[in-house]
Formats: sequence, structure tokens, C-alpha cells
Amino acid sequence: MSRQFVVRRPLPEFTLWEKMASGRAVFSFDFEMTARCNLDCRHCYINLPAGDRAAKKRELGADEIGRLGGEAAALGAVWCLITGGEPLLRKDFFDVYRALHRRGLLLSLFTNATLVDEEHVRFFKKYPPRDIEVTVYGVTKETYERVTRTPGSFDAFLKGLDRLLASGVNVRLKAMALRSNMHEIAAIGDFCRARTKDYYRFDPHLHLRFDRDEARNSGILAERLSPEEVARLERLDPERFGALTAACDELIAPEAPASDCRHLFRCGVGQRSFVIGPEGLLRPCLSLHHPDFLYDLRKGSVADAWTRFVPEVLKRETNRREYLEKCGTCPVVNLCLWCPAHAYLETGELDLPVEAFCRIAHARAEGLKCG
Amino acid sequence: MSDKIDLGKVYAPSEDIVVREIEGEVVIVPLVSGIGDMEDELFTLNETGRDIWNKIDGSRTVAAVVRELAEEYDAPAGLLEELLVRKMVVEKE
Repeated sequence: MSRQFVVRRPLPEFTLWEKMASGRAVFSFDFEMTARCNLDCRHCYINLPAGDRAAKKRELGADEIGRLGGEAAALGAVWCLITGGEPLLRKDFFDVYRALHRRGLLLSLFTNATLVDEEHVRFFKKYPPRDIEVTVYGVTKETYERVTRTPGSFDAFLKGLDRLLASGVNVRLKAMALRSNMHEIAAIGDFCRARTKDYYRFDPHLHLRFDRDEARNSGILAERLSPEEVARLERLDPERFGALTAACDELIAPEAPASDCRHLFRCGVGQRSFVIGPEGLLRPCLSLHHPDFLYDLRKGSVADAWTRFVPEVLKRETNRREYLEKCGTCPVVNLCLWCPAHAYLETGELDLPVEAFCRIAHARAEGLKCG
Repeated sequence: MSDKIDLGKVYAPSEDIVVREIEGEVVIVPLVSGIGDMEDELFTLNETGRDIWNKIDGSRTVAAVVRELAEEYDAPAGLLEELLVRKMVVEKE
């Protein structure tokens, strides 16, 4: 009788996902290698100058990153997203990547591609990431560099991207839709779809700065599209609009849901993933920067953060009437960007409604009804 | 290195893979290209494969592994061949 000892399965068919779907379990985590970046994008929520010595000094070392990756893997994490800032800016990028890879983590990488050279390509071919995501800020030098505010960055981006595409590494392309590239957003979509076998997506929602830098925040606000423009962009994208339309019944409640739930966190935060910042602060989600919800991994462990700290975070409740009466019972809340993390970035409070998000949610709902 | 099994040799897990146990499953994660047939493929071992794998630890010859398992399993060498072809185990220097 012949037996199959080794079972090979493509990732999407892996039975492990079904097992992990029940109950709270670590599936993935994001690792921000640095907040520094060689570009200076107008809309960026995190970037610090490439040469920011103080920021560099505070960053975790490759050994620390390897240790934390191992702790996450021991909890069952399968996937790790390496992001930044620009991860390739780190001189020890290869060491950091290998330190995580050796733990048996599947790796994804977000990069702007401008620093990708032949050495990176050889490395990625030998130690393939699951995928590399590159954001396309424009398809002309003028537009790209209007967003990045970095002369020469468009040529560097094209060269780096061509290198990645030629290497056969799985590359996914995406875009941010902002005032400075709005006129080119259709061409950006065409550019991306022509170069990647994977899906293309764009994001019109610009987050405010994690460091609450007022001057940079006013620049981000100036780049935000109007609610009508966001809704219109979605209607013009067949894939996105199709998905929204298909889920319409879930996204728009027939009437305002009655709820006496006072929990602040009503999304899936803290159930499957977490984020580790450049300095080793673990937070339950990417945008959640409130000081009450940061856990210092340099003084503790991933296991303690996951099993003790995050569940405590999720218990947080609110009694604020503005939130409970408005967002707490809103029928289009599933189309809204509102969450405690975003509310904190926008207002400095975790439980205040955000008027700008409210307008976008209702414009999107209107667009869906019209569609 | 040959892909054929030498019963007198000692094999050990390759440094180009990581073996993890997640939710009770033994998962083999390739670290380098050329081990999986597809770019996004993982490997698991069935229960029998897991028992055999645990003995391929760089301390026993294949003959010894076979001897230990022969009473319980039909053809443990089948797993070794498959692991060797995939370079998941390598000849111990």
C-alpha cells in the first residue's frame, strides 16, 4: 500500500487556517522596521527623515527583532509583514529579514522599491518572500515626485520595480488616492494592472500622523479627497464597487441598530494579529497609538502582551453620549472609517465621532444605493 | 549530493527549512527557493510521517531508523526518499 507521508498544499488550501479560525489566536503580525524613509510623501502618517539619528538609535536591533519574531512564532504566528517607514533603508535589512525568516514565518514586505538593487534581487530570489507590495504614487515624474517631494525618486522607483518584476518575485502594486495624484489615478490603475498578476487596490483614506505633528497633519488634510470624490472613485472601480455592492446588505443596516453595548472596540482588533513598532512597542492594531494601549516589548514579552495586555485593552468601555447615540447606533457604521484608533488620531479622544468620516460614510452609502 | 538513500548514512533536517508545530500540525516551511514546487506552498506531515521525521535527527543511520520503525510501518523509506528529493534532509557531514 502506498502512503503519502508529506502533504503538499498551496497556502490558500491549507487546513491550518480553518483550525485557527475558531477562537482568539495569533495568525500574523506587522513589524515596522523603522519609521524613517528616503522619501518625504505628503500624505504619510509615519515617515521621519532617513538620517534621523535619534529615531535610528531607538530602533530595535536585528537580534531583538529575531527574538520577538521567535516569540510570535511560538504563539503560532504564521505570517509577518515587514513594513516601515522604508525597511530597505536599514543597513542590516538582510540580517533582520533572515532573523524572522529563520523562525519559519512567511514574510511579506512593503517597500517603495526606490532602493532595490541587484543585491536585493539576488537575496529575494534565494529567500523568497510570500509577496512584496509597492505603492505607485504616480506614473509620471512630475506627479510621482510631487507626492514624494524627492527629486530623482521616480527614476529610482521605475528601476527598482523593473528589477523586482524581472526577478519573478511575487509583486503586488497599489496606490494611495490623494489630491496631488487624483488626475492620474486611472492611469496609475492601468500601470499597476499591466504589471502585476495579483489584484490591484487603491486607498483614498489618508490617516493622520502617529506623532500628531500639526504641520504635517495639515498637509495630509489638504491631500484628502472630498467625500463625493471618494464615493465617485469607488463607483468607477469595477472590482471595488462590485465587492461593495455584493456586500451591500451587510454594509448598510435597514434601520438604526438598537444597542446598549458600551465596548469601545467592536472590530476584530486583538483577535488575530498585532503590530510591533520600530522601538519595540506592541499595539493591537496599526492605527492604535493611544499611550494606554502600547506595550513595551523591551521590558516584557510577546506572550505577556498577547495573553494579558491585549485582552485588558479590549475590555475598555465608554459612556460618552455623543459616541453612543451617533456612531453606536449608526446604520452605515460598516462603511465608516470610524474606530477608536482613528478617532484618537483625529480628535485626541478615543470616543468622539469624526465629522469627516461621517460625511464619507454617508456619501459611500448614497453611492451604493444609486449603484 | 545524491537523491538516493544510502541506508548506512545518517541524515539530518536541512538548514534550508524550518519545522514548526502549529495547532497540532507539523508544518515544514521552506526557507529557500527550489524546495516547494510552487512559490506559496507549505508542507505538512501525516501522523506516520511525523513519527519517522522525529527519528531523522542526525544521530541514526537510515538502517537504524528503518529497524526502529519496521515493526510498525510498511515503508518508512518512502518518506526519506521524498524528503531527500526535496532537499528537506541532507547528508550529515
